[in-house]
Amino acid sequence: MQGLFALSGSVTSLAIILIIIFLFKEGLGLFRSSQIEKGYVLAVNVSNPVGALDSRQIKEIFDYAYTNWAEIGGKDAEIIPFRFEEIFSIYDETELGNDYELLPGKLGELIASEPNILAFLPERYAPKENADVRILPLRTISPRSFFGGIEWMPTATPAAQFGVFPLIMGTLWVSFFAILIALPLGLGVAIYLSELADERMRKLLKPAIELLAGIPSVVYGFFGLVVLVPLIQRALNLPVGETALAGSLILAIMALPTIITIAEDAMRATPKAMREASLALGATHWQTIYRVIVPYASSGIMAAVVLGIGRAIGETMAVLMVTGNAAVMPRSMFESVRTIPATIAAELGEAPSGGTHYQSLFLLGCILFLITMVVSISAEIISKQPINKGL
Amino acid sequence: MIETKHIDFYYGAFHALKDVSIRIEPHTVTAFIGPSGCGKSTFLRLFNRMNDLIDGVRLTGECIVDGVNIYNKSVQVDDLRKKVGMVFQKPNPFPKSIFENVAYGLRVNDVQNKAFITQRVEESLKSAALWEEVKDKLKKSAFELSGGQQQRLCIARALAVSPSILLMDEPASALDPISTSKIEELIHVLKQEYTIVIVTHNMQQAARVSDRTGFFMLGELVEYSDTKKMFLNPEKVETQNYITGRFG
Amino acid sequence: MNKRKKQRIAFAIFRLLSLVVVGILLWILGFIIYRGAGTISWEFLTSAPTDGMTGGGILPAIVGTLCLVAGSVLFAFPVGLMSGIYMNEYAGNGFVVKFIRVMTNNLGGIPSIVFGLFGMALFVNTFGFGDSIIAGSFTLGLLILPLIIRTTEEALKAIPQSFRSGSLALGASRFQTIVRVTLPMAFPNIVTGLILSIGRVSGETAPILFTVAAYFLPRLPHSIFDQVMALPYHLYVVATSGTDIEASRPIAYGTALTLIVIVLLMNLLAGLLRRYFGGKVKTD
Repeated sequence: MQGLFALSGSVTSLAIILIIIFLFKEGLGLFRSSQIEKGYVLAVNVSNPVGALDSRQIKEIFDYAYTNWAEIGGKDAEIIPFRFEEIFSIYDETELGNDYELLPGKLGELIASEPNILAFLPERYAPKENADVRILPLRTISPRSFFGGIEWMPTATPAAQFGVFPLIMGTLWVSFFAILIALPLGLGVAIYLSELADERMRKLLKPAIELLAGIPSVVYGFFGLVVLVPLIQRALNLPVGETALAGSLILAIMALPTIITIAEDAMRATPKAMREASLALGATHWQTIYRVIVPYASSGIMAAVVLGIGRAIGETMAVLMVTGNAAVMPRSMFESVRTIPATIAAELGEAPSGGTHYQSLFLLGCILFLITMVVSISAEIISKQPINKGL
Repeated sequence: MIETKHIDFYYGAFHALKDVSIRIEPHTVTAFIGPSGCGKSTFLRLFNRMNDLIDGVRLTGECIVDGVNIYNKSVQVDDLRKKVGMVFQKPNPFPKSIFENVAYGLRVNDVQNKAFITQRVEESLKSAALWEEVKDKLKKSAFELSGGQQQRLCIARALAVSPSILLMDEPASALDPISTSKIEELIHVLKQEYTIVIVTHNMQQAARVSDRTGFFMLGELVEYSDTKKMFLNPEKVETQNYITGRFG
Repeated sequence: MNKRKKQRIAFAIFRLLSLVVVGILLWILGFIIYRGAGTISWEFLTSAPTDGMTGGGILPAIVGTLCLVAGSVLFAFPVGLMSGIYMNEYAGNGFVVKFIRVMTNNLGGIPSIVFGLFGMALFVNTFGFGDSIIAGSFTLGLLILPLIIRTTEEALKAIPQSFRSGSLALGASRFQTIVRVTLPMAFPNIVTGLILSIGRVSGETAPILFTVAAYFLPRLPHSIFDQVMALPYHLYVVATSGTDIEASRPIAYGTALTLIVIVLLMNLLAGLLRRYFGGKVKTD
């Protein structure tokens, strides 16, 4: 019987281990995947000296942002990007033979005749390397382009862009402002609850705060969508109301119960002796609160803030519904942003299982997982800080 | 001067003090003794209204400090507490530096002048016989001091706001004998300037430090007289029993 | 400004802030109740959506949510209960318990969308359950497991040691003591935790997005391997991606109100239980 109990006790640890294994197995697969779409190659004319390109360069070339090979370390000549589909505007289907058997040959001729071409071709129709044609070596998606990249275009062809930096910044941006709003409010309520409220008020407020914690995030999101978003749009005269501000406001409300509950507990834990010592010296109750009780509870309050941030960073549905989800670097509170959880929720349904997009979303999950681990552990450490350091 | 007239005090339904009247003269040390739960600490805490912090308490009668009934509505409790300082059973320094502990009372009473604060901190620490031990580490945490030093720090902290009355609630009960005797010496010196009321469960201590002694039992002030008389020739048989150790 | 005036101002601000927080709660609740009340009817609760989710009711979503609540509780409650018992009654206070407690806390801190990812990878793909009630239930079960473990542990901790000693002294085994003495006394508090986790499960969206939730599936489920609609996901869909968002607004308000009512009921029930048994456990 005891064995069964012990087994149950191990379920949470097992779950964490499995989460780590599955998230990281899928997520880290991204860095083993090719930088361009699976089953495709890039071909150039043999006379072109260019070596392996990085994902961003490939994308920029096909977006006509880079137009000269010199810009990416080649000779001074115009880049001719060529997508496979364009072949059908050059040749008739009948000219390509049964089952497109003549297609590789035609593509080979094309590349041979155009020294400055960069051709994006399916592997099965690509010409063999020969005196005229060279297949470019491909890299795998690099961690640097993932963490440092500033473009999130997971479905772009030929090279999808997995720059997660704007998403990380978006997440932090929205969460940071949420806490900025929630902290004074939460701290004020915590002080009221622990110091000022009589038993009757406490009996009213505590359930209210529990209820605030119990409202499903999708309901917060819905409320934000139908009330806050139009309100923000009208009040600030913005083109759209789905902004970082809307996300921060909703997240602030959602983080309140965490902050209030933990901060209140911390302040209640201040020894009576501290309180009495201060009052006996002629301090007012308020002076006692801000000079003795709040400093004494500061580690608990810090833990409350950290956990509040953790809650905000991980929140999905409410943010998804009110921030507009534009994957750009956040610049102000009045523009649309996109967070990591919202990205996963919005895109996983459309990402083919096992593909790079799918893997990249799992990698986002890993980031989220690591952030929350850091948050949990640092909250634990902070709340155990000895008091006498706070001089 | 402190005077109480017919004080009755209740914690909810519990009658903690019964018709207590007393007169305490300036520049004396008055000790309250009695078995635990007899109401001596409760009585002491009336003089700076520390009992106000407890819910559900009720008081009748008058408690007059320097001619004013301190339970009058017009009395500001923080002003009262500035005048009537208190030292607690366990040393309770703030988690701040030694300097800031002593300066605390000045700061909360809106003293801004830095030079004055520095001067008062030094004077108070000297009065509490702690200056020589801490003058080189005023910025260090008060928690680094020993228990006895912490208690003297708390005394210095109370003196810094220049009270006229000092209440001491079993100030040496948590200390070792050497620290205790230092505190007792200090009480002797301080009585030149302050009116001191001390609660103690240690009869020898009461006999050593006080001029007058009040004996409490079950919420009543059984006997109140000169300490010498009380210990040599008590009037009441309960006092006699308590002092000779037959009770409590 | 003197210190008493400062105190008056500061305290007035704290009172105001508390009012603001209560005001926010009332605003949200009031708004959804006010707008949703008109939609709620017997028919709304007992019929399937029609006309591209601009008409009809939410029966399949209600049934789906009930299935998920039942499934996740069936998994998480026994496991959480036994885990809590193990930590409090068997494992002493050594490294193992500390480790489990840290892991449980950490699991409780993981965002719900990560549970969704994990559930999809493990239950939907690796175990091959597909999008199904069973996959969703396991995912949600893991999500509420820390809550159930924590409340069980706290409930057991509140039982004075003397009751256990009394039973053990009469020759009862440790297991008998748990089943006959400790658990019955702790049960009201454990059930309170369970009720709160039911409230949580009914409202979670992110974990079911990729493990069970169906966009539109008017029929009721036949087996645990069926997909279902669920109230929170339905609200998300109707609010953001319906065919005609304006026309489906009343449905969204009604769904939100249904969700709110479930949460309110669960909180109320938990509060009543706590109040009713709160005194009993102590004085018994």
